Amino acid sequence: MLSLHRDWDDIMEKEDHQQGEEQEVKICDSSSETLATSLSLLGNHMFPDSVQRNDSSDSQLSDLAAAVEPCLKSEPSDHVTRRENEGPENGVPTQPADTEPEDADVENEQSDSGDFVAEMLAKAKLEEQGIGLKGRSSPLLEAGNDESPALMSHRDEDVTAESWRQHRKHVFVLSEAGKPIYSRYGSEEALSSTMGVMMALVSFVQSGDNVIRSVYSDGHTVVFLQKGPLVLVCVSSSRQSEQQLRGELLYVYYQIISMLTQASISRIFEHKKNYDLRRLLAGSEKILDGLLNLVDSDPSFLLAAVHCLPLTCSLRDSLSQILQKAITPNLVFSILIAKNQLLTIVQEKTVIEDTRLEPADVHLLLNLIGASSAFQAGEIWTPICLPLFNPDCYFYAYISYLDPPDCTVCLLLLSTDKEAFYAVAECKRKIEEAMVTQKSLSLIAKAQSYSVSQVGVSDLRHFMYKPFDVPDHYRQLSQFTSPEMEAPYSSEEEKMRLLDLYRYMHSRIHSTSRPLKLIYHVAERETLLAWVTSKFELYTCFSPLVTKACAITAITKLLRWIKKEEDRLFIRYPAKYSTTPNPSKSSRGAKSDQQDSTDNGFLSLL
Amino acid sequence: MNVGKTSLLHRYMDRTFKDTISTVGGAFFLKQWGPYHISIWDTAGREQFHGLGSMYCRGAAAVILTYDVTSWQSLAELEERFLSLTDTAHHDCIYAIVGNKADLTDTNAQLAQDSDGHSGDSDSLERTDEQVLSACPTPPASPVSLSGLMPHKQVTHEDAVALYGRILRYKGLEETSSLPAEKMCFETSAKTGYNVDTLFETLFDLVLPSILRKRNENQGCTVNLEDSRGGGGSKRSRSGCC
Repeated sequence: MLSLHRDWDDIMEKEDHQQGEEQEVKICDSSSETLATSLSLLGNHMFPDSVQRNDSSDSQLSDLAAAVEPCLKSEPSDHVTRRENEGPENGVPTQPADTEPEDADVENEQSDSGDFVAEMLAKAKLEEQGIGLKGRSSPLLEAGNDESPALMSHRDEDVTAESWRQHRKHVFVLSEAGKPIYSRYGSEEALSSTMGVMMALVSFVQSGDNVIRSVYSDGHTVVFLQKGPLVLVCVSSSRQSEQQLRGELLYVYYQIISMLTQASISRIFEHKKNYDLRRLLAGSEKILDGLLNLVDSDPSFLLAAVHCLPLTCSLRDSLSQILQKAITPNLVFSILIAKNQLLTIVQEKTVIEDTRLEPADVHLLLNLIGASSAFQAGEIWTPICLPLFNPDCYFYAYISYLDPPDCTVCLLLLSTDKEAFYAVAECKRKIEEAMVTQKSLSLIAKAQSYSVSQVGVSDLRHFMYKPFDVPDHYRQLSQFTSPEMEAPYSSEEEKMRLLDLYRYMHSRIHSTSRPLKLIYHVAERETLLAWVTSKFELYTCFSPLVTKACAITAITKLLRWIKKEEDRLFIRYPAKYSTTPNPSKSSRGAKSDQQDSTDNGFLSLL
Repeated sequence: MNVGKTSLLHRYMDRTFKDTISTVGGAFFLKQWGPYHISIWDTAGREQFHGLGSMYCRGAAAVILTYDVTSWQSLAELEERFLSLTDTAHHDCIYAIVGNKADLTDTNAQLAQDSDGHSGDSDSLERTDEQVLSACPTPPASPVSLSGLMPHKQVTHEDAVALYGRILRYKGLEETSSLPAEKMCFETSAKTGYNVDTLFETLFDLVLPSILRKRNENQGCTVNLEDSRGGGGSKRSRSGCC
């Protein structure tokens, strides 16, 4: 009934040889009410294969990542393994043979392709030396860039420089013809030969009726994702799992779809295989840059859930009512956002029957708002596709801040009618008026995220809780709650370090080959416990000296506290409205708009 | 695109020049002008958003077509790609051709007009007016003499004037009954503020009387959006190019 694993990793730290502890628990019976009872059922099982020693690495994560890798790699011939010496790329010389002993078999089988990869990449690097900064003279550069170094973007980076190689995570998007579409760092022009090699790899593996999924080298994981005519590649030294990186590439793909729609991208490349998609995406690079920064710094993406700002139930209800009353035909979603977190969301009735808004779509919307906030006094009207709702049609988004000049409270109204701007703007005025009458803005201003100290559990430093049991008859949006990151996680580096730990825990829990229900992980400077049941997914971070018994008691207390605060922490009952007497109009209206997307200037280009 | 439409409007509304990002869709602004609100659309130059063009321009009283004085292509694209987007504008809509980034090519435009300081603001406005009035009747003077010094300049004032003439023909308007090209072709710098106020204020002064006249004629017959927003005003579109 219970399959139990427990492994102890003696982790050698760089200098201080601090001992860490790693424990995995797989509980099939998730109905247990408390963690304490679950843990009492545990037995021990040594897990010799995954115990690894690594003297040179900078954190214990490398060990653990090495332990995970063989599992991921076990899918036959789906992987090309790269092992050539990358030279100074990693800075710290490592001993790959020591860290990945299990790879030997895979390696031998793949030696041909491995050599091929090494050769191709080496060649690409040589070619780039000659290309250097060609892209700098691009007419697309905004005026004034050369005068103010502050405006110098990642796009102007020298792709031959060591600093370029050392970026933690590169993301490239290219077309099937190998044409560069986007690079997170450096100009696409300067990288065209590298992207050519990436496409060569994809085609090479494809010619053997196979799909390239990833390439592992000592310091880097290269993940490939092919979506229609687009190829997305991530080169990461972040030690995230392949699955997580692929998930992030999928967000990048969705963001591109949200700007162009899947239908028009397919259509464009059907007509012209070597079309330069940058022509349509020029100017959108910052939206993609912003997305990738968010993906790295905001756990919403990892958890595939949205973060709500805690609000008293009555305030949230009154805001929903205000939105419910300000409607116009073809309005389908009204969303109120403060401090980049959701306040409330109201949907057109028939839309709820059809489908629901997916967290990923909300993330894309939030990213769009963040990216378009440069000139905040105006009211923005823009076509946007919600790829998970319908990848082929446009909504028209009205975006306006309700509290200029502070610009923290943002109203987002989605309509299916391109011409509805003035009608939708009128809704905003109604909402504004009602909010003045009810003094909502000052109440929202007081709302803020909470401190973990409010939970009242000592040793608990931070947590992320994603419930699965929000009333489901409304097909509720996935949400999670999390306190502010406070000391010792107040600096950017420390925040990132904690997020990396969470990402590691997440990768273990969601491992495809060996998923876990519970993981207790003693890290160098903190102790983490992640637990997934049929009702929730929970990640907790404790001070390093907490005992297991303490952690268990703390989690019991935490769950009790969340239960008590549930109404404040989450959107419990999403409100709805009906904007059209004819129910076929709303979401199917969205689909009929699909025809309209052809009208949006794409076909005329071909 | 990248001709500086958002920066121009930013300079006019906020009196600042900031790093802007590529406009998404279009941004709608209301400018208080005496007792009226003037609606202004800041449009995206990217092809991706051309589908919205007809919406911005519907019923517009004035369209500002913006190019970059350092980019010949930007002027050519105004005609090739953007002019047709203005088809839904009001039939007596007026057109202004604006060459932005003049600071890159013209020493006059490099002199930052301290439009942030409220004292002396009106002074600088008057000065600006004079510059325009004196510069326009003799267009070759400034651009030609400077073209040697500033090799960047790709579009001369005459090019803009010629485009203005072609726009009138495209719209089927008589040159004699329309506003003269000298009055409707501007060179501006959003960076220094050069000519920016002149541009907007000249246009406001030009369109307001005709809008008010129309409103009086139509009184009681139609309720238009401007009325409901209080005070009545003109709806304006700006278009630009890459």
